[in-house]
Amino acid sequence: MKALLSEKNRIWLGIFVLMAFLISIPFFASDYWITLLTLILIFTVYSSGWNVFSGLTGYTNFGLAWSIGLSGYVSSLLIADYGFFWLFAWPVGAIFTGIVSIGVGYILLRIKGVYFAISMVALTEGTRELFGTKYLKTVTHGGIGVPFVAGIGLSTLYWAILVLAFFTIVICYRISFSKFGLRLLTIREDEQAAETLGIHTTREKIIAFILSAFLVGLAGSIHFTYQNYIDPSFAFNIQLTLTPIVMTLFGGVGTVFGPLIGATLFTFIHEILWAELTLLYMAVFGGILMVLILFFPQGLLGWLKERGILPRSRKI
Amino acid sequence: MANFAELFMRGLMLGSVYALVGMGLTLVWGVVGLVNVAHGEFVMLGAYFAFWAFSLLHLNPLFSVALAIPVFFVAGVLIHRQITERLVKEHELSALILTFGMSILIWNLAQFFWTNTYRSVPYLTGNFTFMGLVLSKGKTVSFVLAMVITAALFLFLKYSSWGKAIRATSQNPEVALVCGIDTMKMRMITYGMGIGLGGAAGAIISLQWVIFPQMGASYISRAFAIVVLGGLGNIHGALAGGLIIGTLEAMVTQYLSAKMAQIIPSVTILIILLVRPTGLFKK
Amino acid sequence: MARVESILRIEDVVKKFGEVAALDHCSFNIEPGSITGLIGPNGAGKTTLFNLITGVLRPDSGHIYFKGEEITGKKPHEIARKGVGRTYQIIRIFPKMTLLENLIVVGKGKEKRVIERAMELLSLVKLAEKKDDNASELSFGQQKLLSLAQVLMLDAELVLLDEPAAGINPTLQNELMALIHQLNREGKTFIIVEHDMNVIMGHCGSAIALNYGQKIAEGTCSEIQNDECLLEHYFGR
Repeated sequence: MKALLSEKNRIWLGIFVLMAFLISIPFFASDYWITLLTLILIFTVYSSGWNVFSGLTGYTNFGLAWSIGLSGYVSSLLIADYGFFWLFAWPVGAIFTGIVSIGVGYILLRIKGVYFAISMVALTEGTRELFGTKYLKTVTHGGIGVPFVAGIGLSTLYWAILVLAFFTIVICYRISFSKFGLRLLTIREDEQAAETLGIHTTREKIIAFILSAFLVGLAGSIHFTYQNYIDPSFAFNIQLTLTPIVMTLFGGVGTVFGPLIGATLFTFIHEILWAELTLLYMAVFGGILMVLILFFPQGLLGWLKERGILPRSRKI
Repeated sequence: MANFAELFMRGLMLGSVYALVGMGLTLVWGVVGLVNVAHGEFVMLGAYFAFWAFSLLHLNPLFSVALAIPVFFVAGVLIHRQITERLVKEHELSALILTFGMSILIWNLAQFFWTNTYRSVPYLTGNFTFMGLVLSKGKTVSFVLAMVITAALFLFLKYSSWGKAIRATSQNPEVALVCGIDTMKMRMITYGMGIGLGGAAGAIISLQWVIFPQMGASYISRAFAIVVLGGLGNIHGALAGGLIIGTLEAMVTQYLSAKMAQIIPSVTILIILLVRPTGLFKK
Repeated sequence: MARVESILRIEDVVKKFGEVAALDHCSFNIEPGSITGLIGPNGAGKTTLFNLITGVLRPDSGHIYFKGEEITGKKPHEIARKGVGRTYQIIRIFPKMTLLENLIVVGKGKEKRVIERAMELLSLVKLAEKKDDNASELSFGQQKLLSLAQVLMLDAELVLLDEPAAGINPTLQNELMALIHQLNREGKTFIIVEHDMNVIMGHCGSAIALNYGQKIAEGTCSEIQNDECLLEHYFGR
């Protein structure tokens, strides 16, 4: 009996129970709760995706909205204009974004530090304008919003994002103690020293970047299908970049579960704040961001690890 | 021909104001090592400063421009001392995120208190003719003010003791420290100057453009393009960069469309960072 | 009798920063299995030379050959994998990673073998008990040893050490130099930048002197010691 309840088995049991609970949600919860959880899961993937690149390599990606919007557009247009089934439209969008990211990564990842952050913002802004011009109108509808219906129910959508979120976290967990993950960390610690020790930093960066773009893009496709609408300012909105970053900061940059915790806590706080303080909501958001970075840059999990409340393992 | 000359002048005038904004940003970035994403918001606050001074106190906006400099300087010094100095030793990206939060806080508070209604300062309206060119009074005065402030800044940096200390700290902080320069004080002063320039630019902007809480966003994007163009910390480069961006914008708006002109900052940044990351001009 | 190929050949290398020539038509050869000192005043071009050899910088002109193969302008990680390792004047290890991780991340191949090798090296530098400590928690001298262990993890044949003896106490210095000699006997070639002439004289077979980016002297240590011209340049007599 004791062997059955070993630590490892208890963790597995816990995960099993949690997943069973989450899977069964649509059977007893109201639409409000399913929607809330759907959003939390979407942002968990956004945050984890951001974290797997930026949290580990230290290259702050301020262009998450670029991957989200690009994949979202491809998928949504495939559904709206070409009658694709959502199950195929979503991966196509994500793969398209992944492929374009190879080129973007190869070009932009030579740029270091703050400049990289700025160039990603510039890329996002530029892409947004591009999708709004009349030159691409035949494909992109030139900046006019595209409302569409994908023939998918709320519950199915919820299950889809649940599966994606689960796999995203598993991937992040596996990477955290893999040699690939360690190599990414060296980029954050000291890129040049890593290179002179034989680590092909450019290749590792690009791989992480593509992985991030793919995961985030897939979640983005699901997100816009959920919204039943897409337009350039909506798709390439800086909020889609900022919110996951804040969520990850909240939970702990570079940790495995930080993004998940951050997304959950943040969404709940958002719900409360929004209800109470609608007008000042953004101002409070800005204030929280400042407080976080000044006093808790390591986030909740980082803080707990420092205090010894949580083990200092990379796997958490 | 007159049309092109007018267009060019318009571009320069536009650019002179952008340059002022850009110089404030590059000064702080180069000397303090901080990317102040909230810089645009201080421009916005400067514009509102001139507006409220005009509507409530009937203060001549030209006077507001002059007044904005010390007021915003002090504000900047205080902000740096209390907030941004803490992050000087950290990863530059922490400061980026901090000032981003500050930016959101400021413009949303502005929106909350002053609403989104467009404001303006109807002090100088109409055109006048100069050497056969029809120029707007407001824009010309703005240009002159911007140039005066720029000249004052250059003289200050070149000849005053503080100015020299700032340049020393910018080039080599460790050596400056060893030479007895109080680098923390220099950073505080520089940050104050950066904000002062931003506030003054905002007050100048109020003379000819509408004022609203989110206006900072468009100025910060141009400011980034200017800093990247001119080279980090390069004030002279920022002046040139500002004039270039302004002229480009005027030309593109006229010959293509206003919408196309909107992507100039983004495209500039991407091209420069890829082709000549240190900027077009040598320090 | 077979000709011994130089393990490193620097041929007429020039590197300018703006107007200043950090390296000005510098040429020399390094014999395999040697321990060569690289001396010269600050700014003579020693670190720049290391940066050029390891691919961190590209020379403006000239060639660099490692084991007969041209490595001029190759990427740092490629050069490292060919067998050139270096340490830095200001220690560069990975502070927020554990000692074991610092070594594992360099290793290539099967995980089990890599971990074994890492533990071997940690034992060699007497840091095995600290394997799970963060590298930032080490003392200055221990960090130097860790840095050396990282280079060994690369299985580097040519090891460039930038002021290995600086800032550590004489006991540790002796241990470090003894380790270097042991590795040298096993076949590794060393180039050591040092300001401490005792270290150079005491441990290097030969030395190369640089000043203003140019090689001003080369030879065995006793030759260098007696070179008037060199003494004048170096000590300003």
